[in-house]
Amino acid sequence: MLISIRFHGRGGQGAVTASKLLAQTASEMGYYSQSMPFFGAERRGAPVISFTRISDEPIYEMSQVYHPNIVVVLDPVIMKVVDVFRGVKEGGWIVANTTKKPDEFVFGQEYLNIVAVDATGIAIKNDLLVAGMPVVNTPMLGALLRADIPLNIEVLEGIVARKFGKEGKKNVKAISEAYEFAEVKLIHGSGKRRYPKKQKIKVEFPISTPAEGVAGKTKLWRDFRPEINYDKCNDCLNCWLHCPESAIRLNDRVEIDYDYCKGCLVCAAVCPKKAITSEREVFADV
Amino acid sequence: MYEVEILTGNETAAYAAMNSNVRVVAAYPITPATPVVETISKLVESGKMLAKFIRVESEHSAMAACIGASAAGSRAFTATSSHGLAYMHEMLHWATNARTPIVMAVANRAIGPGWNIWADLGDSLSQRDTGWMQFYCSNNQEIYDTIAMAYKLAENRKVLLPAMVCYDGFVLSHTAMPVELTEFGDFLHEYEPVWKLDAEKPFTHGNILPPEEFAELRHNVQKSHDRALKLMHKVEEEFYELYGRRTPLILEEYKVEDAEKVIVTMGAIGSEAKVAVDSLREKRVKAGLVRLRCFRPFPEKQLKELLEDKKIYVFDRAISPGSGGPLYQELKAALASTPIKRITPRIVGIGGIDVTKRTFERALFERKIWIKEVIS
Ligand code: SF4
Ligand code: SF4
Repeated sequence: MLISIRFHGRGGQGAVTASKLLAQTASEMGYYSQSMPFFGAERRGAPVISFTRISDEPIYEMSQVYHPNIVVVLDPVIMKVVDVFRGVKEGGWIVANTTKKPDEFVFGQEYLNIVAVDATGIAIKNDLLVAGMPVVNTPMLGALLRADIPLNIEVLEGIVARKFGKEGKKNVKAISEAYEFAEVKLIHGSGKRRYPKKQKIKVEFPISTPAEGVAGKTKLWRDFRPEINYDKCNDCLNCWLHCPESAIRLNDRVEIDYDYCKGCLVCAAVCPKKAITSEREVFADV
Repeated sequence: MYEVEILTGNETAAYAAMNSNVRVVAAYPITPATPVVETISKLVESGKMLAKFIRVESEHSAMAACIGASAAGSRAFTATSSHGLAYMHEMLHWATNARTPIVMAVANRAIGPGWNIWADLGDSLSQRDTGWMQFYCSNNQEIYDTIAMAYKLAENRKVLLPAMVCYDGFVLSHTAMPVELTEFGDFLHEYEPVWKLDAEKPFTHGNILPPEEFAELRHNVQKSHDRALKLMHKVEEEFYELYGRRTPLILEEYKVEDAEKVIVTMGAIGSEAKVAVDSLREKRVKAGLVRLRCFRPFPEKQLKELLEDKKIYVFDRAISPGSGGPLYQELKAALASTPIKRITPRIVGIGGIDVTKRTFERALFERKIWIKEVIS
């Protein structure tokens, strides 16, 4: 038996911690386990992947998981930028944080079993917030245990209670709520996924030119949306200089490119005139 | 039973330093080795680890501080990676010629530019002439055990050499797996230096040395490497008697005896190669594996005995531009009497390209030397 799980989330949501907690749970139940995060740009809000392997035999694989049995999606927005279904085994599972019901899923219906849970709602209800952002990893683990995985919820809760100190109680509560309220839909089928053809890479000198968009449309990372108040702005260009995404344009005045602004609010912090304010971002289309 | 924890490679290295009773740690952070130092600083702060933690302004200073600590008679430890290791280069030579048995964790990472934070053994392999012993690990338990065993060897009076314990960045440094947290009190006693810096009895160390004496010193370094190699089995045995774990120091062989095609490699991909060997055997390919653990000293004799009449595929996760894979080059020299066409080089996993069992399977049947894609 070798079960592999892939977690998709965004930096700050706790995907890496989730995969490690899962490995610990398996280990305490006598299985061999491994938790392998993949690190790219270590930035808050950036897409994050982590893998867990669970087996009844020693695990020698040291490569990433390409054909998981279970995919856990911590953030519904991530589906817009990452192919979360890539390589999932037919008859496998998708465990998603969503307000949708399993029947409303657009992808995966024909060949995957579905667990749907509103982990964000559960996190907010149980006050699992870090810097205002809901941390959904523990409730997602609760929902994951509804999939085909031989792990016991009490062992997981015991570990969380032990490791999380005074935060333990509410996390344990979130786990059992998610386990209880998750909706499961079993499906049998044989859909096949097609993979896009890879492009050939050619690198001779490590040269890059100033450009926006190397990480895709980073607007989806945005939890907060900066707004420039032009009555206060004195065109000092501080924001333009400091924006890490080059998302501030120089037209007749400084203008934020909301396709690429990732909402880090560096611009607001460096503005001497306090001309940049922010409010919570809500995307209508996701 | 010992305590089993799910730890990353970096956390493992920190715990190994603590349980090896390290007394001085001087380090400077660099990805992907930073969590080693972070974990140690927490352990020191909480009083669990009785060591002096020295914050320094660079890796060069980190190694200088370790040399000072070791010369004053303390067991010293540090951790680094990539550019940090390159920056230490001068001091690495110093540590060897000063015969200070420092142990250093190296989370292997590529060297830029072309900024790349991922696994590549090129950083430590390019330090192969500094006189340090070098061990390569393929899982976290091995990192843990090797750090203690490296001190045991390094501090042996017939050896007195510093040692690097290397493990692939991210692939091991950030991957968590079960580790038995043994205490090493019975295995490692307090470090007793042959001589130590002492303000009461002042003397100079590392002053001018005329040619003949310098040659003598260098010859002694070489002889110490030879002796270290000879002592390795003894250290493995003693470790096994105490803790029941067989942790090879020189190499691990897997299904080599009847094998026709033998994969030779080291580091984390050496673990993946085991999966590949099993998979190949299911397809009736008589494959085997030699996973090298110790690159310095280079176990020429042992490799020769195992590999002399085999068809060999050497998988390097590093490149010495203008020459080839470092392991391939050394193995070729060690097997000088073997027909050259039986030794095939492969360059894989450069800059962190993921190496899967299928990478090995394909590489055995394709003619390409470089594999620059993930074969999933
Ligand atoms: S918040 Fe401001 S600094 Fe940050 S990406 Fe957006 S425009 Fe640039
Ligand atoms: S930093 Fe503030 S004042 Fe300066 S250009 Fe930007 S918005 Fe205007």
